Amino acid sequence: MNRKNYIYILGCIFLFVSFSCKHSENEYHSLTDKIEGESKNYHGTSISSEQLLEGIESIEITEGNHTFLIPERKKQIKSYACTECHTRPLQELKSNDTIKKAHWDIKLAHADLNTMNCITCHNGDDMDNLKSLTGSTIDFNRSYQLCSQCHSKQFEDWKGGAHGKKVAGWAPPRASMTCVNCHNPHKPGFDTRWPARFNTQKVKERE
Amino acid sequence: MSGIGKYFKLNLNSTTKQTKGNSCGCGNTSGGCSSQVNEPAPVKASCGCGSTSESCGSHNEAKVSDQEFFEAAIDAAIGDERKKDGFDQVFEVKMDRRTAFRQLTASLLIGAGAVSTSCSVTTGEGTKEKAQIDWEEQFKGNYKLMTDEERNATVERLVRSYQLRKKKNINMSSKDAVKDVLFGYAFNISKCQGYMDCVSACVEENNQDRNSQMEYIRIHEMKDGKGFKFDEADDNYYHEVPAEGHFYMGTQCFHCDNPPCVDVCPVQATWREDDGLVVIDYDWCVGCRYCMAACPYDGRRFNWSTPEVPEEEVNKDQHYLGNRMRKKGVMEKCTFCVQRSRAGKNPACVEACPTGARIFGNLLDPDSTIRWVLENKKVFRLKEDLGTEPKFWYFMD
Repeated sequence: MNRKNYIYILGCIFLFVSFSCKHSENEYHSLTDKIEGESKNYHGTSISSEQLLEGIESIEITEGNHTFLIPERKKQIKSYACTECHTRPLQELKSNDTIKKAHWDIKLAHADLNTMNCITCHNGDDMDNLKSLTGSTIDFNRSYQLCSQCHSKQFEDWKGGAHGKKVAGWAPPRASMTCVNCHNPHKPGFDTRWPARFNTQKVKERE
Repeated sequence: MSGIGKYFKLNLNSTTKQTKGNSCGCGNTSGGCSSQVNEPAPVKASCGCGSTSESCGSHNEAKVSDQEFFEAAIDAAIGDERKKDGFDQVFEVKMDRRTAFRQLTASLLIGAGAVSTSCSVTTGEGTKEKAQIDWEEQFKGNYKLMTDEERNATVERLVRSYQLRKKKNINMSSKDAVKDVLFGYAFNISKCQGYMDCVSACVEENNQDRNSQMEYIRIHEMKDGKGFKFDEADDNYYHEVPAEGHFYMGTQCFHCDNPPCVDVCPVQATWREDDGLVVIDYDWCVGCRYCMAACPYDGRRFNWSTPEVPEEEVNKDQHYLGNRMRKKGVMEKCTFCVQRSRAGKNPACVEACPTGARIFGNLLDPDSTIRWVLENKKVFRLKEDLGTEPKFWYFMD
């Protein structure tokens, strides 16, 4: 076979290959490829959660690579600032029978008493703030810093968005609930309860 | 046989004579052309009547000429209509008095009905408008093919129709998919406690039929250590949850990126939108339930009866492709609450879940929480090997 034929055949093969492997722009092999491909030039969308967040007081926090909003806390606590009552040392308040009792309904059910008691988180000398394990001050608005001392795994998930709930919608800006919006810090676990509904029709259908 | 060409060339009013000498030309597929024959013809010549069997008993070369036979066959088949055309075929039909009266009465009734609703002075404006709306709704096209004006028009008609019928105002949207959005969903199996708050929220949000207790979401209670055994799981439990030794997982429409339900729809009443939502045009669906059979996840539901929702419980914030009121005999399913999600809100199930097991967001936004979950947790999907590419991932803490 002469050279010309070779070149001709090679040319045909080249053309065939180059056309047969061509994908149209919107074609991907898998969903993950599609997500990766289409998000390359992502510059935001026209949908925003801002309207939904109106009227919700929030503070912006930055933890690691994540910056997002969490609900403001101090204004939600009924009798903040604590020092409005806690003007005198705790011992004195406790021994005085003439003043109205407070916090009688709080029973600590969080870890065991070897691990935790009131002063693990509260500071008798600075009632308006929380305190870390090493004694540094933590603001009530950033109480998640207190929780994250032990619950580091949950903290990682929460920062990324795998733990906890969003405040409003899915669209940016991101606003996530903070730990104490779902968990009672003094009793963080949840009781069992009855399901919200039961489908009687399904029972009939399956009889 | 004289070949397939004959089927296509057959011309009943033909002036050109059939050329083949010994072929019969009846257009009948049953093989029983009506020419008179005395004996079954043992001829091997080709027979051109539509049947492929050899029992076309009409080869009788001697008695009838081809031309005569041809005419006779056509007369027997279509008779007078051969000479009539258009109106004559309908109006100049021989019929007896009884049939004539019957047909007249029927058409009169239909005509009178139409006239009385549209022109009557005694019926109110409302009735006329209702009739007009029903008429236009009846003959509207497929939503997918509508222009924006047509979409707005049908939405307006539906809102007006509801107003006329129920004296209540609803708010219906026809908001389209937004660019650079692809909805995705993640479900945390270790968080779900089986409370079923999501199911309740879904039913209320999406105006599902209360009588048949239709639910889009199913929560499966599975035994620890048994893995995903849907046949052994209980999706209709009623006891305190979470039950000892069990875990819970929810299924619903997964909004596959390669949805088999869409492929099988014979009328294209269901399709995937640009933001990934698989939606249904309830007014185009014919209720064949092919999609229900094609879905490997039991994501679709059928309205066996007219869906009924107490008026005070109707969610009036609606979307054409979402939670507007359905009718009997159409499919419906989860739409990721299109009326909410396209407005930036989370679907009702996500919002209602008290455990935070449900995560929803934009897959194309690299900073979204759903993307973080997909990239940092060990996620999987149901029946991944089917290639349906569901946009619904499961993961554990």
